[in-house]
Amino acid sequence: MKTLLFLVPLYLLPLVVRSDVVLTILIFTFVLSILAIGFNVVFGGAGQLTMFHAAAFGIGSYVTFLSMLRFGISFWLGYLVAVLIVVLISILIGWICFKFRLKEFYFAVVTLAFAELCRLVAMNWTSVTNGTLGMLVLEKPTVWLPGSGVVRIEQTVPWYFLTLVCLTGVLIFSVLLMRSWIGRNFSAIRLNEDLAQTLGIDTFRYKLLAFTISNVIASFAGALYGFYTGYIEPAYLAVTQALDAIAMVLLGGVSTILGPVVGALVLTSLPHLIELPAEIRVAVYGMILILVILLMPRGIVGLAAGLSRGRVNAA
Amino acid sequence: MLLKVENLTKRFGGLIAVSDVSFAINKGEIVGIFGPNGSGKTTLLSLLAGLLPPSAGRVFWKGRDIAGARPDVIAALGVIKTFQNPQLFSELSVLEHVMIASFLAFTRMKGHGRLRSFLSPGKGEAILRARAEKALTLCRLQDSSSKPAAELSYGEEKMLGVAMAMMCEPELLLLDEPASGLGNDEVHNLESVLRDLRTHGTTLCIIDHKVAFLARFADQAIALQQGCKIAEGLPHDVLADPGVVKAYLGRSHHA
Repeated sequence: MKTLLFLVPLYLLPLVVRSDVVLTILIFTFVLSILAIGFNVVFGGAGQLTMFHAAAFGIGSYVTFLSMLRFGISFWLGYLVAVLIVVLISILIGWICFKFRLKEFYFAVVTLAFAELCRLVAMNWTSVTNGTLGMLVLEKPTVWLPGSGVVRIEQTVPWYFLTLVCLTGVLIFSVLLMRSWIGRNFSAIRLNEDLAQTLGIDTFRYKLLAFTISNVIASFAGALYGFYTGYIEPAYLAVTQALDAIAMVLLGGVSTILGPVVGALVLTSLPHLIELPAEIRVAVYGMILILVILLMPRGIVGLAAGLSRGRVNAA
Repeated sequence: MLLKVENLTKRFGGLIAVSDVSFAINKGEIVGIFGPNGSGKTTLLSLLAGLLPPSAGRVFWKGRDIAGARPDVIAALGVIKTFQNPQLFSELSVLEHVMIASFLAFTRMKGHGRLRSFLSPGKGEAILRARAEKALTLCRLQDSSSKPAAELSYGEEKMLGVAMAMMCEPELLLLDEPASGLGNDEVHNLESVLRDLRTHGTTLCIIDHKVAFLARFADQAIALQQGCKIAEGLPHDVLADPGVVKAYLGRSHHA
């Protein structure tokens, strides 16, 4: 839990930094961190290479918005509907994949196929989703604050605090999860699934649980993202979105608590820091990614942990 | 009677690895199953632990038919198997290995109170850690508990497998060739550990091709050859059985 103290200065940051650009980058960082944490639960936790997290992200944004429109409910109730649907879809897909004992690459390919299926539904079910044109989201989340009642989240600073609080909640949950017996069973499955099973762990159930939790977390990021940008489109469910989150986790550090956040921060801010023509910028960005993954197989957090441990040992 | 095996058979295509084997294991016993390489010992143990589904026959655990059940279900009922080639969670330390095997102990300790421990793991964790240290002491690994498991010797890796199995609090421990690949000192160490396990109240079923090793402390012996049970009884009698002698030496004593 101590590792989460890094969040404290982030709560104070808007007092010092007034730049909308910096705060906006951080809002995107917080939201994409949540998506990356979702991926890290099933990949870094239970060792299952899912490709469904972006689909869950997209479903989160679509279902939250559509249920708000249809049923006239609030953002949070709309998101609850999304959770319900994501849980059902995850159990269905997970059940199929894990019953057939799909592992590693095979699991990735099958979950990718299901993700593409969901994207095609979003693209072609025009009467509901408005197809490739996407949907404008004019509604905003509301929160109840003591003293000021129900507040609509519209400006940059309220969005900053809302997404930061959400990230904090997701991080606390993921720390509790990974330290509990559930996280321990996930690790056992990641490190040696056959041994885990002979030690009494129902590997099917725990893989299904990891997959479902991961998708629910990813869908939360999707709901926030759609409402912050004010726009929802089928590209949210695309494989590029899935790969971005994977890059964040690999860059930050797989199986670490802070890895997804660090990775999200670097990959969100990097394009803004490289002031070059667009084509060159993409190439430079790609080069940095390749180098970092080659030189730091355990990610930035893994490298930092290794360095500080080295210093302790030397002392 | 803890375990009763009836007409257990396993075919791999045309090969019959285990053929119509029946026997029983009583509480507190040490049962030794031996036979030359390829006699179906490991297959038999894998059938008992649920790692392979039997082709025919039944396995009763305390009267309940467990043949064909999943390994984790059988493990949760109290039957744990170790592996001939040590299976590890590679990157973890020795103590972490035993802690990661604590799931069954944990569920028995907490039952449905598990969810509460999600928010405050502290107390249960301390009890489990104490048990893990006990399991390590039992397996003579207490001095290596903070070492990475990758640094252990082959013999120690095997003992770690036993320690992880003991963390699951088994009633019946199935040991797959625990002595193979061990030096003399390590075999003596293993023997004293196995005797401690019995004192601890664990029933043991050990397979090995080293007859002398099993004969030293087994209460009951079963001899296999080409998947068939060829003798059963006190170790001394089984060793003297003409069929067993023939299987091992390739000819009868009197020939």
